[in-house]
Amino acid sequence: MSRTHVTCTINGDQVDFLTSDDTSLLDALRVELGLTGAKEGCGTGDCGACSVLIDGRLNCSCLVFAPEAEGSDIVTVEGIADGDHLHPLQQAFLEGAALQCGVCTPGVLIAAKALLDANPDPTETEIRYALAGNLCRCTGYDKIIRSVQEAAVRLKGAAR
Amino acid sequence: MTVTEDRPAYKWVGTRPIRHDGYEKVIGKARFAADLDLPGQLHAAYLRSPHGHARIVSIDTTTAAGMPGVKAVVTGADFPDLDPADPNFDVSVNVMARSTVLYNGHALAAVAATTRAEAAAAVAAIQVEYELLPVVLTLDESMADGAPLVNENNVTKFVESDGPSNLATVNVLERGDVDAAFPAADLVVEREFDTAYVHQGYIEPHACVVDVGPNGKADVWASSQGHFMVRSLTAAILGWEPSRIKVTPAEIGGGFGGKTTIYLEPVAARLSEMSGRPVKLVMTREEVLRATGPAPASKSRVKIAASNDGELIAIECWFGYAVGCANDFAGLVGAMSVASYKFPNLKLEAIGALTNTPKTAAYRAPSAPQAAFAIESVIDELAQALDMDPIDLRLRNAVEEGDPTAMGMPHPRIGFVECLEALRDSDHYQSPVPDGAARGVATGFWFNIGEQSSATVNLNEDGTATVITGSPDIGGSRASMALMAAEELGIDVYRITPVVADTESVGFTDVTEGSRATFSTGMAVVNACRGLIEELRARAATILGVEQDAVTWIEGSAVADGHDPLPLSAITAKAKSTGGPLTVTGSLNAAGAGPSFAAHCCDLTVDEETGQVAILRYTAVQDAGTAIHPSYVEGQLQGGSVQGIGWALNEEYVFDDEGSLENASFLDYRIPVASDLPMIDTIVVEVPNPAHPYGVRGVGETGIVPPMATIANAVARATSTRMTSLPMSPPRILAALEAS
Amino acid sequence: MSDHRRFTDGEAVVESEGATVGEVIADLEQRYPGLGEALTHGASAGVNGEIYAEPEYLEVDTDTDIYFVAPLTGG
Repeated sequence: MSRTHVTCTINGDQVDFLTSDDTSLLDALRVELGLTGAKEGCGTGDCGACSVLIDGRLNCSCLVFAPEAEGSDIVTVEGIADGDHLHPLQQAFLEGAALQCGVCTPGVLIAAKALLDANPDPTETEIRYALAGNLCRCTGYDKIIRSVQEAAVRLKGAAR
Repeated sequence: MTVTEDRPAYKWVGTRPIRHDGYEKVIGKARFAADLDLPGQLHAAYLRSPHGHARIVSIDTTTAAGMPGVKAVVTGADFPDLDPADPNFDVSVNVMARSTVLYNGHALAAVAATTRAEAAAAVAAIQVEYELLPVVLTLDESMADGAPLVNENNVTKFVESDGPSNLATVNVLERGDVDAAFPAADLVVEREFDTAYVHQGYIEPHACVVDVGPNGKADVWASSQGHFMVRSLTAAILGWEPSRIKVTPAEIGGGFGGKTTIYLEPVAARLSEMSGRPVKLVMTREEVLRATGPAPASKSRVKIAASNDGELIAIECWFGYAVGCANDFAGLVGAMSVASYKFPNLKLEAIGALTNTPKTAAYRAPSAPQAAFAIESVIDELAQALDMDPIDLRLRNAVEEGDPTAMGMPHPRIGFVECLEALRDSDHYQSPVPDGAARGVATGFWFNIGEQSSATVNLNEDGTATVITGSPDIGGSRASMALMAAEELGIDVYRITPVVADTESVGFTDVTEGSRATFSTGMAVVNACRGLIEELRARAATILGVEQDAVTWIEGSAVADGHDPLPLSAITAKAKSTGGPLTVTGSLNAAGAGPSFAAHCCDLTVDEETGQVAILRYTAVQDAGTAIHPSYVEGQLQGGSVQGIGWALNEEYVFDDEGSLENASFLDYRIPVASDLPMIDTIVVEVPNPAHPYGVRGVGETGIVPPMATIANAVARATSTRMTSLPMSPPRILAALEAS
Repeated sequence: MSDHRRFTDGEAVVESEGATVGEVIADLEQRYPGLGEALTHGASAGVNGEIYAEPEYLEVDTDTDIYFVAPLTGG
């Protein structure tokens, strides 16, 4: 079985790993690299639990082949905090009880970060559409939306 | 917003600390079942039936067993046959088919190999000869005269049985005289309803890793609503003593009742035993939808009589639940949801009937949503016919303490009236209905259950406490346990570490179901803390040189006349010299789980061109008894409401004629997404449950009971068309509009 | 629980004696053969407003109402 050597940046670190051509980026992250934050909820790009940023863009890592990551800059949920200092989204989610079981949370945080990176002042509707690819079955989304709104306020305050 | 009765002033109960397990969950370090890998681990895959019903004439695994990487293959022959009367028989057969496959997707073999791809390739090489049997997919087909048998081992429960039948259960409840009451009534409304199979839709697929060691002991890591349940069912299906198995609970990625049973663990255990290697078994989403428990589809007939001044006089109902390929207790429990009104005359019949579809499983208040959809729709129609406000009609007839439940037993202290009043007085209900929209109201309730729980509380030398329970934390229960312990012990909630321990590290604890964790396991924690406080008073008495009776425990300190208060940390520091470690265990089989009532309201529009329903505003009111951590109580209400919105508007299993599920993906089985919804406003009513030290009522179940009728009632008012079939998807709404 | 009326000539409410629910069930079996067995396997008991899953040793008074119901579960 031939293996492909992939070199990329993950959460700011240069990494390289061997993978087969039919391995998804999600499996490579979880199995080869031990980054199990991204979850497989469906494997078909319908639930968003495996969301990661690739060169700043939101992707379902289950739909990306691992060799496609060559040379790219990937951010997973493990990489959004600044050391021990949580990202404002993470802190807002904790304070706002935006997670119940927590299995969709990594993907939701990544999708929300992608939104706020591009649009620091989203409306509720914009947040709802930005997160429409991330299924959550526990919360009814209410506390997720509110927590994203709160994080946006805090990020704007910090940027001032 | 909270409506609170008089109660003691709590310091911690009712506050909103950050949950103790939250940090790991937002940084991606929390370990769910599929996140664990063991050295040398194999990956397993299933062969599942492509037929809706068939006899297995032969299975040939020889080729598969010789394929690259394959280390073990199992079929039904590798599991002991249980007696059909054994309570675990149906689960055993569902885990691995024996002589017959009962639904499309039924597992009949599994392979463990070094990679998942190798396991899948070997599965494809298993040769099976099937003899096709007739497929029964609907309740009507199942109950028809001369219907083919769905499952030859099924006998009807609760009634006299004369051999195998498609009927699972029959339950009848009666009081008064409906035959006399209906002809004499001013107004009678009668309707028929039906609902589709729907899935719990947890985002985490079922997963486990099992390692059977050379000594025959099995280590199981699994995500479930109860790891002691996993242990006992796995043991029963393997024919082992439960003590051979240790189950460590992984974080659980949603359950909603769907993880109150098992599918994988005995299979992984047998494969591990045969291969001598750890085995990981993870379902795909397609497998979750095809082979794990949906909630039953249903049909119902509801007839209610009222007087012209709005007194509900009689109710007669028939509820039929299609329970899938094996027996289930669905019927009666659903029927009981109608007990919310003071009907002097009542006759309820609920039956379950088998179909060649996946064995159904519990889903939040199992069977109540289907019944409440029907009953609360008819109540609404009565309100329209009587020209009464729908809340006023319900208030006029709502049960209170002492009124009989459907089974006859009087209700304990309940908060139904309080919920209705809170909704009536809410900003939502007091606001005008937006132009072009309509408003619907409905109610629901769930009894809740107690069952067995254990808790151990250890005080550490630094004055902190570790609270160890056996209840998987499915939505914030660690925080609730810590809050109750903080209130009892009088220490900061963050000085408490709540732990969910494995089956060898804490006493037996039943499944996290029926909204019982905060109620029942919470009581075990409170009992353990109260035992510890006794011990702390004794230790303090030793340190201070006074009698124990002279010591009282106040806000985390031992207090005795003539002495400075002795804080908990000063006592734990002297644990060794005063008698040894400070640890107490509490356990109980809890009774007195207080029923939780709810009243919901929504404003919506119906696009008469497309049939699309848009929810504009939604409010869920529910009695929590006492909300230990209000944020997670609100979360239960919001989550249940939105699952109900999905049940009402979108979700349904679509089978082809052979019983193959045509929409086995999240693309085609469409659960609500963020852009479908408004905020879900909540009003937590607190009518304390007298049977719990803090007044807790479980809140997990009831939230899903009212939404379907809430929405149907709004649709009826928006379109003058009453939808009696779920889901109210755009094509069905259009068809109903055209028909009317 | 009226589907069990087949054991009691159609009566929904019957008298029985015993100091515990288990004794009451045993007494019912004497009076109505088959009923005690049906209640032992697959019934919970509602006593004094609370529902008990395995009520065998639960103490009752002579004037206690016991409501036998199908087992409750949850999600």
